[in-house]
Amino acid sequence: MSALGISARAGRKAFAAAEQAWSRLWFQERPTTPLELVRIGIGAALLLHYLSASSYLLEFWGDAGLLPRALALRDSDPWMQSVFFYFTAPWQWIAFDALFLFCCAAFTAGWRTDWVKWIVLIGHISFVYRNTYLVYGVDKILAAVLLILCLAPVGRAISLDRVRAVRRIKRARLDAVLPPYTGRWAGACTRLMQIQMAVLFFYSGTTKLLGDQWWHGDALWLVFSSEEYYNGLLLDLFARHYWLVNVATYSTVLIELAYPFLIWQRATRPYLLAAAILLHVQFAVLMGLFYFSFVMIMGHLSFVRIEWLRRLGTAWKRAIGDMEMIYDGKCGFCVRSMVWFLAFDGLQQIRVRDFRKNPSPVVSDAQMEKALYLVLPDGRALPGFEAYRYAVLRVPGLWWQIPLFYVPVFSRLIGHPIYNWVAGNRSWLSSILLSRRRS
Amino acid sequence: MTAKVWRERVTYTAMSLFVAWHTLAMVVAPAPDTSDLIKGLRTVLDPYLHFFKLDNQWNFFAPDVGEEGRDPIGVILRYVIKDDAGTLHRFDPDAGLNWFRPSSIWFHDWYRALLENPDDFGEEFAALFCRQHAELHPVAITLFAAGQKEYGPLDRLRGKQPLDPEFVNVAPVKSFECPP
Repeated sequence: MSALGISARAGRKAFAAAEQAWSRLWFQERPTTPLELVRIGIGAALLLHYLSASSYLLEFWGDAGLLPRALALRDSDPWMQSVFFYFTAPWQWIAFDALFLFCCAAFTAGWRTDWVKWIVLIGHISFVYRNTYLVYGVDKILAAVLLILCLAPVGRAISLDRVRAVRRIKRARLDAVLPPYTGRWAGACTRLMQIQMAVLFFYSGTTKLLGDQWWHGDALWLVFSSEEYYNGLLLDLFARHYWLVNVATYSTVLIELAYPFLIWQRATRPYLLAAAILLHVQFAVLMGLFYFSFVMIMGHLSFVRIEWLRRLGTAWKRAIGDMEMIYDGKCGFCVRSMVWFLAFDGLQQIRVRDFRKNPSPVVSDAQMEKALYLVLPDGRALPGFEAYRYAVLRVPGLWWQIPLFYVPVFSRLIGHPIYNWVAGNRSWLSSILLSRRRS
Repeated sequence: MTAKVWRERVTYTAMSLFVAWHTLAMVVAPAPDTSDLIKGLRTVLDPYLHFFKLDNQWNFFAPDVGEEGRDPIGVILRYVIKDDAGTLHRFDPDAGLNWFRPSSIWFHDWYRALLENPDDFGEEFAALFCRQHAELHPVAITLFAAGQKEYGPLDRLRGKQPLDPEFVNVAPVKSFECPP
């Protein structure tokens, strides 16, 4: 073989190896679950934050408020855009704010995530650029994290979009299973989020090394003695044991510097993740930076391994045990309700049995004519409302219903009659559903 | 080669180019502007960074805890209102802010913006503060910047507070007449 041929072959091999490494780094097939956790946390934080901002909307971000448009535009450039620059009447601010808050709620719940996420991003950036004087660390972090969430295929797990997709296939067959979503782009976006967090910590740590206060170990004393973050109790403790200030200051820098390097390794990731989360819990409790700390912790969740979540799910299922829901397959209304119910059971904790086709050894057909039953791992069978009540607490996808089912006295007082009425009229309800579908 | 394979290759290349671009943006945005390389990259990346608000420094409490090295700890707003009898009333608006309300951060930032740009915002804020204290019948208001000086553990043990006069450098910023 000629020298040219050998070098061409070696070049091809090197290129193939580089491409493989690149794919392994960026484009591994992954589920979106860690990003969905980030989505839910960030969405909830944005919703609460901007809800509290609504009462100051026109004062802080309006043209007739403390920052007239001309002043806001003075320090901006053509790339710094805000929808508020184009509004002229106060009702437009209010209408956009209402739409934005609705989209924040939908983003958190994962409803129509593919488009609401973009409105959330546009809204957040619009608030930021309309009044840059009110922008601080967390707003910048949110912009960076939101863009990645917008690019990612979020809404495919732990979301109402997933519930709708599962419901669609279960309407055809109740025991059908929709496999979890995985994709190479989901892997790439998870990696982008992780790099964003690592870069943030790297610069946060290295810029501290430029300051004497951090080198001398006094920085945290200065933080807590400032008017903005004043904490009298902590200052009293620190004044008596000043070495604690040194330890806390150096630990902060150490964690921030170690994080971008050690978070990637399998062995060290849990420790770095725990340290970073603990650091932010302290920022929240001791400095009052609740919003900032919560958003940062959500960002760190992008490093949660999918195996950890799987193990957690398995452990939860094992702790709760198998549950079997027995229903009336001849009743269209009951089947439809079961489809809705099971669509929220992401961990697939509940097995179903149609007593018409497959009679239960535990519950008699006569009992089943009156209500659906949930058979528990210990062999007990709970009827109707009690069955739902039991499942709601044990199926994470149904936790949002806990406030309805667990109000002391009231839930049972109202829930039992409602369930009994529905069960007693299920044939009539089914016929209404059927006629509506036909029409 | 089939259309499907080509489509996959084009998609893969586009995805690769994007992740490389975005990673570069994330790394370059907070980098100091000291080298020609970073300056050059910024020229290309700036529109993207600005449009999506990615132009962030990530320098929390760094390099120093105080603001821009002017004061060791920080600077806060203070104002004095003169009532119609000529009596002076001092107010520290930062002291009334509650950690548990997100608005505390906005107000704190606003007060700082006011101290940095008294010509831009002074008049609006003066009118606002005069309105808030209408029961005093204010006739004039003076804004002050109170720079917090070094306050050590020994001061704490002696029972002193960070905002005691000896630890605060007060400088007048601007005075306004209260609107009638």
